[in-house]
Amino acid sequence: MTLFSKPSGRVVIATLLFLWALALPFAACAAPVDPDQVFKNASDIMAQGDLSAAVAELQKIPKPAKGEDGEAYARSRMQIARLEFSLGEMEKASAAAKDVLALYPDNSEAKNFAASVAAARQPGYVTFFKDCLRFLPSLLKGAVTTLLLVVGTMLISPLGGLLIALGRISAFRPVSALCWFVIWFFRGTPLLLQLFFIYYGLPSLGITLPPATAAIIGLGLNYSAYLGEIIRGGIQSIDHGQMEAAKAIGMTYRQAMRRVIIPQTYKRLMPPIGNEFIALIKDTALVSTIAMVELMRSADQLFNTYFNVTALVLAALVYLAFTTLFTFIFQRIEYRAGIYEHR
Amino acid sequence: MRGFMNTDRQPLIELQGIVKRFKSLTAVNGVSLSVYPGEKLVIIGPSGSGKSTLLRSINFLEEIDEGTVRFEGHEVGYHRRHGKLHLDKQSVICPLRAEIGMVFQHFHLFPHMTVLGNVMEGPLTVQKKPAAEARQIALDMLAKVGLSDKQDVYPATLSGGQKQRVAIARALAMRPKLMLFDEPTSALDPELVGEVFDTIHTLADEGMTMIIVTHHMGFARELADRVMFMEKGDFIAQGTPQEFFDNQGGNERIKSFLSRLI
Repeated sequence: MTLFSKPSGRVVIATLLFLWALALPFAACAAPVDPDQVFKNASDIMAQGDLSAAVAELQKIPKPAKGEDGEAYARSRMQIARLEFSLGEMEKASAAAKDVLALYPDNSEAKNFAASVAAARQPGYVTFFKDCLRFLPSLLKGAVTTLLLVVGTMLISPLGGLLIALGRISAFRPVSALCWFVIWFFRGTPLLLQLFFIYYGLPSLGITLPPATAAIIGLGLNYSAYLGEIIRGGIQSIDHGQMEAAKAIGMTYRQAMRRVIIPQTYKRLMPPIGNEFIALIKDTALVSTIAMVELMRSADQLFNTYFNVTALVLAALVYLAFTTLFTFIFQRIEYRAGIYEHR
Repeated sequence: MRGFMNTDRQPLIELQGIVKRFKSLTAVNGVSLSVYPGEKLVIIGPSGSGKSTLLRSINFLEEIDEGTVRFEGHEVGYHRRHGKLHLDKQSVICPLRAEIGMVFQHFHLFPHMTVLGNVMEGPLTVQKKPAAEARQIALDMLAKVGLSDKQDVYPATLSGGQKQRVAIARALAMRPKLMLFDEPTSALDPELVGEVFDTIHTLADEGMTMIIVTHHMGFARELADRVMFMEKGDFIAQGTPQEFFDNQGGNERIKSFLSRLI
């Protein structure tokens, strides 16, 4: 027992420290809970994937007595609320959020959470319509831009197409060759490439265009080329006798074209031109690549902000509304243009 | 009637040595022809003999390869470049065409214009007359062909005979000096031929100069001052209707052609 008979000071201290360390867990049981420890434990349990157990762990943090700081409590209840929400326990999630609100009625996090729990408990269509209302303003802004692009191109391209068509059938070789080239180029390359060239490429030649101008020019040229071929086909489909009859009463080529030939193409051009314009409505989505915020871009932005598919569904509905509207308009024009054929 | 052959009067239209080739085919082969004011010339002949091509050459719808066209004594319509004939520019050709009315086998009415619109179109667009005046001319012409009640309908609603009468009114509205009829009744149902003949007859009685290509021999006989028979791109016989139809000018070829028709 020499060891005990002459205990040194150091040994005594070390022994005492050891005993204290052994006693520590027992002491913790009796002492009030340490919130940090609870959160740490909870997150460990969560990491193992047992969300219910994590909830049980977090429940250990008691409601604060009057005058005590309730920050940890609020934090734990919010976390419980989120966990219960993930577990699909809407009642419990909402109860946890309400616990926080009982203590801190102004807690915005709890408020928002309660609102989204309430939203999650709504039938799907209510959520959908609420989302629609939420997204509609910015989508409609984009839709207006799309509509302006569509209408602008619809005004430019038939005129451009007519010029190209007349140029193509012109007896003057340089003109018909030039028009052939325009058609060849703009039909033969992707619209996306043409837009890139106009918006990103032209500045290197010293021509910088605002996105809207670049978009209208790109769409206008591209659609003029397509309509040029359609209109040429329309003109050449008119019975040759019409041109002869027009010439026989003394008309010039121009007069015959303007008064006799071209007016007769309207009816038969409406279906293919209508087709092109329906394609145009959707092709305007491509200009989102040159920094224009139109319908597609707005939907994309909303989708990326809220990660909510409703924005995309809504965009699809707006596109459908546009195509339906224009289909109807073209049908009316076709009917009106062909009224002289009705017996 | 023989007076029309009188050479001291100036022909309204005079063709000399007209040649028109389509690739390897020579459709018209050196035709010469004079038509005097007030004369009614009927051209007959088998199909493919070049009758229509000749008629179309007269108002420059065909560009001839050789020959000259004289209208009221003046050589018109062509210039020579690098030894080839070329049609003059529109500013020369169009006013000439405006003086020559043409009626087609298949009418070629403008389907997108009303009957009145069709007849007004020449005075309005070509002669640039005020709308009211063009309209009055058109109404007069429609009255002449007996279709005043159809002025506001579209051609699609008309019968073939009515369409052809509108086409005649459309040509007449330009006040032409010469009328060309290219088989005006060939596309019509037999019962509709009469109304178109009657209309042409009325014009003939008014003294209109006309050249008619037709396969209706009865019509040719009744209307013509002179009948010309065309085959393989040239005239092989001509004469008064009596000479022509009674003894076929003694020509075996014409005899067999006529016997097949009648």
